[in-house]
Amino acid sequence: MQTALIPAIIPAMKDRPTLLLADDDPTITNSLVPFFERAGFHMITAANGADALEKAQMLHPDMIVLDVLMPRLDGREVLRRMRRAGLQTPTILLTQVGDAVERALALEEGADDYLNKPFESHELLARVRAVLRRSQSGKPSLSTAWRLSAYELTIDRRARRATLNGQLLDLSPKSFAVLEYMMTHPDEVVSRERLLQLVWGWEYPAGTRTVDTRMFELRKALGDNPANPKYIETQAGEGYSFIAPVRMLP
Amino acid sequence: MKRFYTILALVMLAIGALALFLMPILWSPEPVLAFQVGFGAGIFSILFGLAVLILILVYTIEWGKTQSAEKINREQDESHRQFLQRLDHELKNPLTGLQAALTNLREAQSPDDSIAAVENASQAASRMKRILKDLRKLADLDAQMLERLPVNVGELVEEMVGAAKDLPANQGRNIHLMISSVPALPPVTGDRDMLGLAVYNLLDNALKYSASVDAVEVRVREDGRALYIEVADAGAGIPLQDQGRIFEDLYRGENARETEGSGLGLALARRIIQLHGGEISLRSDPIQGRGTIFAIHLPVV
Repeated sequence: MQTALIPAIIPAMKDRPTLLLADDDPTITNSLVPFFERAGFHMITAANGADALEKAQMLHPDMIVLDVLMPRLDGREVLRRMRRAGLQTPTILLTQVGDAVERALALEEGADDYLNKPFESHELLARVRAVLRRSQSGKPSLSTAWRLSAYELTIDRRARRATLNGQLLDLSPKSFAVLEYMMTHPDEVVSRERLLQLVWGWEYPAGTRTVDTRMFELRKALGDNPANPKYIETQAGEGYSFIAPVRMLP
Repeated sequence: MKRFYTILALVMLAIGALALFLMPILWSPEPVLAFQVGFGAGIFSILFGLAVLILILVYTIEWGKTQSAEKINREQDESHRQFLQRLDHELKNPLTGLQAALTNLREAQSPDDSIAAVENASQAASRMKRILKDLRKLADLDAQMLERLPVNVGELVEEMVGAAKDLPANQGRNIHLMISSVPALPPVTGDRDMLGLAVYNLLDNALKYSASVDAVEVRVREDGRALYIEVADAGAGIPLQDQGRIFEDLYRGENARETEGSGLGLALARRIIQLHGGEISLRSDPIQGRGTIFAIHLPVV
């Protein structure tokens, strides 16, 4: 139905990025569509997985937001089929249940980012913009690579191992997950709350300290000096960012 | 099992009956005196007695088993029903608030009305979000792998006290921290983040249910076999009838009804401590109103 509208709207839409939003709950799409339109997006919606896959292939949106739990093909399967068909459209997965298994899976299927429900609209917008910024700058998505490196640091996401100068680093699983997320999202300021939500799956008021403790452990292992950082920089009042240039390894 | 014993009993009965009738015909022993029992009849009565005994025993055991299974089922049903009832109650309130706020928004006469309505709606939504988040944490605990690393409990408790003090709601609150240093605390093996959450929930609880002028006291000590973390408040205390149930999911004690919370904090804390092989207990004196002490004890290796 959007195709019919395009000729009339095209001039105005020219530099409006197109966002495909797939969620089977109309209360979510009905509220998010006007919100994203106000934010300058051209919106396409899909109410189930099969519909989403079809629209992704036919309409070539600039970006896709996929709910995981959907009738006829769940979001994960849609993403898997898209990637298999060679479609590299940047994608954010909306996860329902926050268990650890699902968090690890979302990365495995090549999602560029993911967000736990319930979330704030502004949070999703920020994530969408960050992913879009990266893809529009022509940089490859790091989320689909199994091995990444930055200076002397290398991580193997499948084996859950990190090495520095070829030496295996002794990291707890949580610290590794923090490092993994930071490295797949370089140049972004990652807030403590976001790390808590993504790596731990829950937040609580004292949780931000928990993140700081892991960050301390991580920096110690990396030999990174917070005052003059090479890898992870603290952004006062905001969070952390990974500042070293990240490369994909074969 | 039951079938085997039933067949055994029936076989015994059959042999006994055969003996009763066949023995006199085949072997014809000396005629018996009055009051004396024939050989076959003797065997019959002994085996009959045994068979009846076995049957009674088997059926009693079986009946007992069914009874206790039914009781466990009933208890599970009951706790499930209670859980749903509490969940219904906890979600109903913020949902009612949300609906009322939306009505106000629709009928708003001025921008101020709208701003107030939106503020109320988002407060109600955050409350629902908080309950869901805690529920998920509980569900996650059983699925998640706990880390098993040495944890410096003194340092962890200090960190949690710092975090609690930093919250805007706790500005100016007095939290005394006493960590016994003689002997030095041994490390506990476990998941640092989870243990931190348990300690934090107890602290949060103590701060919430005591007056803002009252101090909360946190003590950490060790006796060679276990490590103890105690959180003591000077609040109103917990009524006796609530003390046994306060750790249940979504349970709200009589004194807790007006205070905001998800009703899952203590349940979470207990689950975490139990996963570490420890236990949480409480001492409270509601009659004198002399506060409550929650004590975590964790085994040390």
